[in-house]
Amino acid sequence: VVTLLRKQRIPVLLHRAFSSSARRLRNKVPEAQKLFQEDNGLPVHIKGGTSDVLLYRATMTLTIAGSCYSLYWLLVASMPQRKP
Amino acid sequence: MAHQAHAYHMVDPSPWPLTGAVAALLLTSGTAIWMHFNSLVLMTLGLVLLLLTMYQWWRDIIREGTFQGHHTPPVQKGLRYGMILFITSEVFFFLGFFWAFYHSSLAPTPELGGCWPPTGITTLDPFEVPLLNTAVLLASGVTVTWAHHSIMEGQRKQAIQSLTLTILLGFYFTFLQAMEYFEAPFTIADGVYGSTFFVATGFHGLHVIIGSTFLAVCLLRQVQFHFTSEHHFGFEAAAWYWHFVDVVWLFLYISIYWWGS
Repeated sequence: VVTLLRKQRIPVLLHRAFSSSARRLRNKVPEAQKLFQEDNGLPVHIKGGTSDVLLYRATMTLTIAGSCYSLYWLLVASMPQRKP
Repeated sequence: MAHQAHAYHMVDPSPWPLTGAVAALLLTSGTAIWMHFNSLVLMTLGLVLLLLTMYQWWRDIIREGTFQGHHTPPVQKGLRYGMILFITSEVFFFLGFFWAFYHSSLAPTPELGGCWPPTGITTLDPFEVPLLNTAVLLASGVTVTWAHHSIMEGQRKQAIQSLTLTILLGFYFTFLQAMEYFEAPFTIADGVYGSTFFVATGFHGLHVIIGSTFLAVCLLRQVQFHFTSEHHFGFEAAAWYWHFVDVVWLFLYISIYWWGS
């Protein structure tokens, strides 16, 4: 690379390596594309791995528990209120 | 492996519409239970479920578009239509509150003193913080356009800088408006003036927060190389929403703050 730059008479100092500054951020999109295009039959919402499955299970647990809880309150609200 | 012979997106089965619907159920019934039985549990559960649904649903859309390549030109066209229709529905939402404001302010009743602003109301000076807020939002409209051009021209650093500036301006507006709310000489309970003022500006403020969040997600995605110079619809949608928020403020400023003072 250095020889090429010298041939074009561009000062080498103006072209330092991409991540030589403090912030080292690599483009991870190609890896993500490979992971999510893998032919494993998994639906997109759990195709990312274990954390996907855990988060899904937590969400569905809250969904079912919440539905039951709202049904409980519906029954409570439907009953006549006891006057003190 | 079967391949599709069309450019459209047949989505994988997803649980998020169900969890979102249950979240709506818990939020609404939870609010009722809070008011009648003094229990916040149901409503809080609904809020948590709503946040989980939004996070996972939109995460999946990013996966489908950026990582799986499902957002072909016809699909993107549909997404554009969708965003435009959604913003239009929001315009109608705000139209209702402007209708309420003009209904009461164009023909002030004797109970108000037959005048607008009503007797006893000390209005905010439109040329103080409200004018600054106008400048802040207009400036943020400029910076978000700068960000768009930076993305289209492949200028990564400038895109990150201008998008960050836009978000900071949004936060600044929210901070200033919160201060104004705290210092205001009238409250939401001060007759129809208070009601129209705080409901209209309050919903606007909520939309500023939503828009700032949308832009912040775009900033994260820009940093992570999700956007290309040709394809960055998520950002465009956020920018459209932001311009909409800005325009609503201009109408609020002229109608409620300036004409209504």
